[in-house]
Amino acid sequence: MRKLILLVVLLLSVKSISQNKQLLYNFTAVPQSLMTNPGADVNYKFYFGIPLLSGISANVGSSGFSAYDLFADNGVDFNVKLRDVLFSTTRRDKAAINEQIELFTGGFRIKGEQNQYNSYVSFGMYQEFDFLSYMPKDPAILALDGNRDYLGKVFDLGDLNAKAEMLTVLHIGYHKNINERLTLGFRGKIYSSIFNASSTKNSGYIYTIPSNVNIYEQVIYSNLQLNTSGIAKYDDEDYNGDVAKDIKSKALFGGNLGLGFDAGLTYYPKKNIQFTASIVDVGFIKHTKEVENLTYKGYYRHDGINPKFTGTNSAGNIYQEFKDAIPLDTLHTKYTTWRPAKFNSSIQYSFEEERPTDCNCTDYNPETMYKSAVGAQLFVMTTPRAPLMAFTTYYRRKIFSALQMKATYTIDSYSFKNIGLGLSSNFGPVNFYVLADNLLEYRDVSKANSLSFQLGLNIIFKDKQPSN
Amino acid sequence: MKLLHFHRILGILLLTLFSFSCSSDLDFNQANDLKLEPVFISNLAYFDVPVNRFVTNGVEQSVIVDSPTVDVFNDAFFTNHLTRADLFFEIDNTINRAYTLDIVLRDINNQPLYSINFNVPAYIGTENLVTKTEIFENAKLDLLKRTTRMTFVLQMLSGPPLNENSLGNIKLRSGVTAYLIVQ
Repeated sequence: MRKLILLVVLLLSVKSISQNKQLLYNFTAVPQSLMTNPGADVNYKFYFGIPLLSGISANVGSSGFSAYDLFADNGVDFNVKLRDVLFSTTRRDKAAINEQIELFTGGFRIKGEQNQYNSYVSFGMYQEFDFLSYMPKDPAILALDGNRDYLGKVFDLGDLNAKAEMLTVLHIGYHKNINERLTLGFRGKIYSSIFNASSTKNSGYIYTIPSNVNIYEQVIYSNLQLNTSGIAKYDDEDYNGDVAKDIKSKALFGGNLGLGFDAGLTYYPKKNIQFTASIVDVGFIKHTKEVENLTYKGYYRHDGINPKFTGTNSAGNIYQEFKDAIPLDTLHTKYTTWRPAKFNSSIQYSFEEERPTDCNCTDYNPETMYKSAVGAQLFVMTTPRAPLMAFTTYYRRKIFSALQMKATYTIDSYSFKNIGLGLSSNFGPVNFYVLADNLLEYRDVSKANSLSFQLGLNIIFKDKQPSN
Repeated sequence: MKLLHFHRILGILLLTLFSFSCSSDLDFNQANDLKLEPVFISNLAYFDVPVNRFVTNGVEQSVIVDSPTVDVFNDAFFTNHLTRADLFFEIDNTINRAYTLDIVLRDINNQPLYSINFNVPAYIGTENLVTKTEIFENAKLDLLKRTTRMTFVLQMLSGPPLNENSLGNIKLRSGVTAYLIVQ
C-alpha cells in the first residue's frame, strides 16, 4: 500500500507536458524536422544521423505545481507541501514525460520524372517513452484526509487516468515536390511496444451522505481497469530471465506490434508566404502478448451489520460481501491502444531576400532565398481527455550560411511565457543542432513547470552552394 | 576561420544558457516522510426491531440474540494502520418497556473481549435517544483488532404486558470513525 502511494507521488512529481516540438517543427535546417512533418521542404543530397546521437529529445514539466513545490529543501514538512500541492491543483492538471532517442536515421534524394531530383526518402528507427497522468485529485483527497470532513461529497474515481508506454518505431517516409509550390509527404510506421500500462477509461464514485436507516448512506460504484502488456511476467517472483535481452528482442518486433502513419504538406501561395500542415502518429498498437488486465468493478451499498435476531449469525459477513461485490479480477483480454495523434500547422512570411549570383532561383525554399522569416504555428495533440493545444509565434533567421536560429514564443495551458531558442550549425557536412524551450525557467529549473530540449548530430550532404 | 567564429558564438550562447541556469536545493528523500492520516467514517451496525418480535403467540420473549461476523478490524490493513476507532451508538425506543442492550466483542475462539452495555428506558410519549461513544485506543484498540464477531443481546425488562398488537419498535444506528496512519 505504502509503496503504491509512493509510486503515485513520485510519478506525479516528475510531470511533463506534451510532445509539442515547436522549435523543431518546420526548422528545415535540421533533417529531424521531417519527423514532425513528412512534407517539410527539406533540401539535401543525402544525410545520415550519427547513431544514437542524431536525435535526443525530452519533455519534462508540470501543470499546477513544480518539483520545487514538493521537494524544496526549505524545512517545511513534506506532508504539508503535499497537501498544498494537492489542494492547489485540479483534476485537469497533468503529468507527462516524453523521451525519444533515434537509434539510426538517414535519407536520400531520388530522381523523379524528367530526370529531376524532386523526391526524397527518409527512414530510421527510434525508441520512445511516453507517460501521461492526470492529477488523481479525489482519490488523493480520500487517501490524505479520508471522508469524515467530506460528508455529501461525491468522490470521482474517473480522476484516475494514467498511461505509460515504451516502444520502438521503425519508419520510412517519402516526400515529393509536386511542383514549385507544393510538397507532399507521407511516412509509414511500425510500432513495437516493449511495455504498456494504461488505465484511461475509469469511472465510478464513492459518497457518504446522512441517512435515516443507519447513520450514513454509503455507496461505492467502481469501474476501474488497468491494462498492461509486457509487464506481468516481471511481477512474478519465479521470473529469472534476462530483462535486457527481453527488451532487445521486443524492441526488434518481438513486442506487441502496431501500425501508423504521418502525413504532411508544404505549400507556397506566394513566393514569400509558406503554409505547412502535418498529422503525426495516427496509429494503434494491438496488445496480444503478455497481456494482463486488472479490474475493480462492482457496486456496493454499505448499510452496516444488520442483526435480525432470527438465530445466530443471521447478518452474514459484511466485509466478505463487500469484497465479493467489488472483486479484484485478473483477466487476459487483448486490447488496443491508440498512439497520441499530433496535428501541426504553420504559416510563415519570409523577408530580406537574398539572391546568390549563381542561384537557379526556381525553388521556393525560403532558406535559400530569404534571410529572415516570421510565422505562427498551431499544435494539437489527442489525450485521454480534452485535446491539448499550443500556439506559437516564431522568428527565424539565417545568421550565417552555416548557422540558423529559430526563436519561439509559445502559449499553452501550462505557460504563457514559454520562450524557446533553437540553433542549427553546419561544420562542413556536420550538422549539430540544439533546441531548448522555456528558457526563462532556467533561472531556477526546480521551479519550472516544463522544460524540453532536443539535440543531435547529423551528416548532411547538399548540392554545392555559394557561401555568402 | 568563419566556421570557427560561428562555433564560438554557438558555444558562448550555450554556455550562457547553462551558466545562468540554476536550481534550488531539492531533497527527494522527503518522500520517505510521507505520512497519511486519513479519518474515515462508516456505518457499523443497525437494527429496527418491532415490538411484535418480543411476543410469540401471546407469550413474551424477553431475550433475543444475534452474533454476526465482524472481521473488518482484524484485516491486515486495519491491524497495521488503525490507531483509534470511535464507535458511536444511538438507540431510539418507542416501546413502552425498558431494555438492556449488550454488544459483546468476541475473538476467533468466540471468547468475549469487551462488552458495551446500554440501559434503554421505556417510551413514555417523547423521543428519548440513548447515545454512547466508545473510544478504542491503545490496549483497548487491540481488543477491537482481535474482534471477529459481535454478539448483540437485546433484553426486555419487566413492565406493562405486551401483546401482538402493541405498537413501537427499538432501533439502533451506529457508526465508526476510524483514524488511520499510513507511513
